[in-house]
Amino acid sequence: MHLFRVFARAAVGAAILLSTTALSRAAELSFLTHWAPETVAKLQAAATAYSRSHPDTKITFRAVPFGDLLTTLRASGGGPHGVTMASIYDAWLPDLVKNQLVARAPEPIAAETKSNWPASVIGAASVGGVPYGIPNEIDLYALNYNKKLFAEAGVAGPPKTWDELLSDAKKLTDKSKGQQGFGLINSWTAGVVHPFASLLVSNGGDLVVDGKPTLDTKPAKQTFELYETLIKSGYSVPSMGTADANTTGPYLDNFVSGKTGMIIMANWWESALKAGMGDKFSEIATAPIPVGPSGDKPRSISYSWMTVVNAKAPAEEQKEAWDFLDWLNGPQSGPNGASAMGDILMSMGILPSRNSDVSTFRPRLEGDPFLRGYTETLADAKGFPVLLGGQEFSESLQKTLEAMQFGQLSAAAAQQTAQGDAVQILERNAK
Amino acid sequence: MGRGLPSPPRFHETGPRMANRVNLPAFAMLAPATGLIAVFVFIPMALTIWLSLQEWSTQTGFETARFVGLRNFFDIFGSTTVGRDFKTALANTAIYTVLSVAMILPLSVAFGLLVHQKLAPGGVFLRTVLFSTYMVPMIAVALVFSKLYSPTAGPLNQILQWVGLPPSPWLSSPRTALASIVLLNVWQQVGYFTVLAVAGLTQIPAAVLEAATIDGANPLQRFAYIKLPLLGNTLLFSAVIAIINAVQVFEPVALITQGGPVDSTNVLTYHIRRVGIEFAQGGLGSAMAVALMLALVVTIAALFAFARARAGPE
Repeated sequence: MHLFRVFARAAVGAAILLSTTALSRAAELSFLTHWAPETVAKLQAAATAYSRSHPDTKITFRAVPFGDLLTTLRASGGGPHGVTMASIYDAWLPDLVKNQLVARAPEPIAAETKSNWPASVIGAASVGGVPYGIPNEIDLYALNYNKKLFAEAGVAGPPKTWDELLSDAKKLTDKSKGQQGFGLINSWTAGVVHPFASLLVSNGGDLVVDGKPTLDTKPAKQTFELYETLIKSGYSVPSMGTADANTTGPYLDNFVSGKTGMIIMANWWESALKAGMGDKFSEIATAPIPVGPSGDKPRSISYSWMTVVNAKAPAEEQKEAWDFLDWLNGPQSGPNGASAMGDILMSMGILPSRNSDVSTFRPRLEGDPFLRGYTETLADAKGFPVLLGGQEFSESLQKTLEAMQFGQLSAAAAQQTAQGDAVQILERNAK
Repeated sequence: MGRGLPSPPRFHETGPRMANRVNLPAFAMLAPATGLIAVFVFIPMALTIWLSLQEWSTQTGFETARFVGLRNFFDIFGSTTVGRDFKTALANTAIYTVLSVAMILPLSVAFGLLVHQKLAPGGVFLRTVLFSTYMVPMIAVALVFSKLYSPTAGPLNQILQWVGLPPSPWLSSPRTALASIVLLNVWQQVGYFTVLAVAGLTQIPAAVLEAATIDGANPLQRFAYIKLPLLGNTLLFSAVIAIINAVQVFEPVALITQGGPVDSTNVLTYHIRRVGIEFAQGGLGSAMAVALMLALVVTIAALFAFARARAGPE
């Protein structure tokens, strides 16, 4: 009998201990990103700071190359044991929502987001008016040019129109030195499509209007013809524009080594240029996208990134994730009223999108000569289309533009192919 | 006969009685292995074939699949963007496979002869060096080759210039990108196939070669009329493995070119990953996988038929 009592007491004690352990078990969250190790370290530091006030929340980070981010998210991120949070590009959102991979932002978070971010950025993070993520960075495009090469070629300043662009590209091209005037990229979807789209909107056109592709318009025709002229005249050499899976490769090498006079690239490129050029980075300047014959002012396309939460994660894990993201993107987590996320973005030369971050970092944004070429056109930027089948649409347009770059299609044929393919892809994905 | 002690099979018996006695224990012993094969090979294959007849998103459960008959197959061989991209990937895969096999087999025999000869020392060392390329992880190979192939600063173009040849764009042109990936593949795999060739050469009876030498056959004749014919089975095996490896190429494309430029390196495995995972179009991706599997089966069957026809009646 005594033995029975001992066993019974031990069993009750064990049950209490086990239940207590279960109740106090730390929430284990995971965060998928494509950032470089040094930036992930900053994110990790922010999570460590968060853990001081939330000791039960443990956050781990996983980084993959940008080219693998979507497939990693789709292949391993969607189940109950997948990553809790993921950083995504806005063009992917509609498909991820359709596949029920990402959770709606809870009402308080949605309200907080709507009141602290510009409406256009909220729109890109929403589907059917419902926010699904907390936006963080915003990216747009500008002309990047090598001041030293410009001076050597006798070009006074950056081109403001397409006529000037062609004229300057001609002066900057020197085949004897293996030097091209204007660099066109290939083998990287966003790198190919976004500069084209930026030139198109600077020429008064659009990729898509009301869900319908508009690549059959006059501004689009002129943009395809601009590419054709650059190639046929030898001002752009396609084999100098290859990017590899990590968005580096010959395209970057040729610009940083002074073999390319000018390119159109995004603001986040700054850190790659600094790393590649060292002291010579001071030779690089930026300017708004040149205006085409049908355009009225310099414009760029813009796109944004956001952090989303796995819709299939357990409810408690989702709640913990939203709490962390709210803190990470809120004004209490960073220095001087900025968010920790804003601070991390600024460390990479990336524009934050939260209104309070923009205010806090305004002196830095305005004082950075590289970023000035971007911030000057921020107000006139047009959002890259966010719609079902967006990635497939982008890859199809990339292929057509590359075919034109490598002389497989004329400008007219490329325009016709691009429009026809886009109609097919968007119609099929809208079903 | 005691209970529980089965009588030993009497092999001279015929008919159903013998079959029952022999097959039951045999089936029992084979069951674990065949069961595992069924679970891990046949069920996934059957599932892929079933999915190829469905419209299904890879992000949803199988219960959401909707039967569409052969529509996915009509789509991938049709004239829409889906069909055009698939046919490009199929053609790229075929070209990659033909080039790879056409380069690997002769090189492996040549290296095999070099390694197998006993006239000069260093054969074992050479075999080790050749095989070591096969052991290098593809990520390392991809990183090194992406730099070797750099059109402006790459060492390969510098070497070409030293010998008076024009530089090549390598991975930066749709005309040369696929061939550049083939070269990378050949460099990595030739060591493995050399080992197979050496194994085949060691099986050739020395007496046959000695007899040929006594009959006055020179080295070239001994190779053409004795070694090469007797290497037939080895070469057939090598060809089958090389074809299967080539058709499954994925890593160098994913790591270096992402299928570009202009889809010139977009091989089928990479394309299936793009359609099935990136675009989540599981039905279409499965149809492509089935088409690839059928193409592979037909190719291998044709290869065996060709080998049998050459061997003639026994």
